[in-house]
Amino acid sequence: MRAVLKYTALTLFAIPWVLVPIWLVVVNSFKPAGEAAELGLGLPRTWAIAENYGIVLDRGGYLTGLVNSLKVTVPIVVAVVFLGAAAAWAFGRSRSRWLQAAYFVMGLSILLPPSIIPTVYLLRALSLDGGSLGYVLTMTGCRLGVVIFLATGFVRAFPRDLEDAAAIDGASRAQVFVRILLPLLRPVLFVGGVILIINVWNDFFFALFLLQGSANATLPLSLFQFASGTLQSLNWNLVFAHVLLTTLPLVAVYVVAQKRVLAGLTEGALKG
Amino acid sequence: MVMRNRAAWLPWALPAIVLVMVFFVAPFLLNVRFAFSSWTSFRAEITWNGLENVRTLIDQDLLANAVTVTVLYAILCMAIQNTVSLSLALALQRTSGINTVFRSAFFLPTLISPLAAGYIWRGLLAPEGAVNSFLGIEWAWLGEPSTALVVVAFIDAWKWSGLITLVYIAGLNSIPKSLLESATVDGAGPWTRFRRVVFPLLAPALTFNVAVTLVGALSAYDVIAATTGGGPGDHTRALNVVMRQQWGQGFFGSASALGFTVTLLVIATAVPLVWWLRRREVTG
Repeated sequence: MRAVLKYTALTLFAIPWVLVPIWLVVVNSFKPAGEAAELGLGLPRTWAIAENYGIVLDRGGYLTGLVNSLKVTVPIVVAVVFLGAAAAWAFGRSRSRWLQAAYFVMGLSILLPPSIIPTVYLLRALSLDGGSLGYVLTMTGCRLGVVIFLATGFVRAFPRDLEDAAAIDGASRAQVFVRILLPLLRPVLFVGGVILIINVWNDFFFALFLLQGSANATLPLSLFQFASGTLQSLNWNLVFAHVLLTTLPLVAVYVVAQKRVLAGLTEGALKG
Repeated sequence: MVMRNRAAWLPWALPAIVLVMVFFVAPFLLNVRFAFSSWTSFRAEITWNGLENVRTLIDQDLLANAVTVTVLYAILCMAIQNTVSLSLALALQRTSGINTVFRSAFFLPTLISPLAAGYIWRGLLAPEGAVNSFLGIEWAWLGEPSTALVVVAFIDAWKWSGLITLVYIAGLNSIPKSLLESATVDGAGPWTRFRRVVFPLLAPALTFNVAVTLVGALSAYDVIAATTGGGPGDHTRALNVVMRQQWGQGFFGSASALGFTVTLLVIATAVPLVWWLRRREVTG
């Protein structure tokens, strides 16, 4: 009886919290502009799926945005995960004071907010402003801290016997890293990687300052430009179609990875 | 032995160290200088000018309001997010088929970008929108000074609640079952068990979540850009919103000063909070 009550309450909460927002986006992206302006939750009286999505793909810069988002997300995630794992190994095993000091700085970089204005200045000085490369390097530098911090805790929790034994057997450091360290760190790197994908894919603030021109615009930027084009009265049908298309790739990743993400997070992969 | 050679560790950490130093630490240090420098699009030369940027921002009535809005926003966001997430975590703590379905459903908003979340709730909360027709009223949630800030903070909390719920579930599951059982044997009811056993032992997860949500919300920008743009008036004009405006008008030094203010707020919030919560963790 108590269970029935609990799940009824949870369902009643989930309807406005999850279901209604998603339904609003989906159903209104199928309506013509005038009907979508009413922002109702009913089914479309006239269907305008092809027109709406056609316009978003054509004028909304969706395809360029998709390519640009992939072009920055993949290198950032790969760089953060692998460079972070390598650094975590060193921080977890070395007793050098210099490395411990560097580890402390990595910890600070998690807590403190990145300074965006001087970053623009710096990238300009390095002739990297406005383009994808400067953005990738900046995001990598600002996100490494979290992964290093989590993975170092993991490394420290494991005895080093396995690595020593492999070294005695003649394995090179690179072999030990690939064969022993990476499999060991897989749970924490996986969860960290998925959260990183979500953050980078959805990043708007950095992109707004660091990426110039629509040729470099990632999906959140192109959504913003598309929506701000008509600031006074949004074309809700088109905005929602863009929102849906922007979110779908992440939903696809999540559907594939969901079991391991949920299990990893709830079993405390982040605790180290 | 090779593995014990100290110098040999450096190459493994070096790429990460260089990237963090160049693209995080260097801008951070530069910001301290730019915040107190004259630097505009009208005069590209950057020269030290002390507190001139701060004084200008105060004279324009921008700074005090932005700080108040940002701090209120962060507190609201933290309170909403942690209340919702902790409640959901308590309800969905046990790993079972049906709970996994609910956990998965409540995680969905986390996948949506804060910008898109802003547009979605702007639609739901519009005067003619679904929330008002359900309540039978016509209220401009985002247009009225009394509700705009709460609503914007709510949207931010909504976006992140799924992830925070999972961290709380991890914290709850790390509490030894034997402790709860012996509390029950000693006659403790559900509320006493929660207050005396669960809550104190949840301290690590609570520390983490309160700090993360507060610090994250101090850098608020995306949701505000998608919903109010800082309005009505200046009621949701957080520090980063003013920073973007100053930057757009070519006042780069003032923009840096605003960014530096966010940094100071983060330090002022996070350091005592982490210290206090950690102490309670040990003694609690």
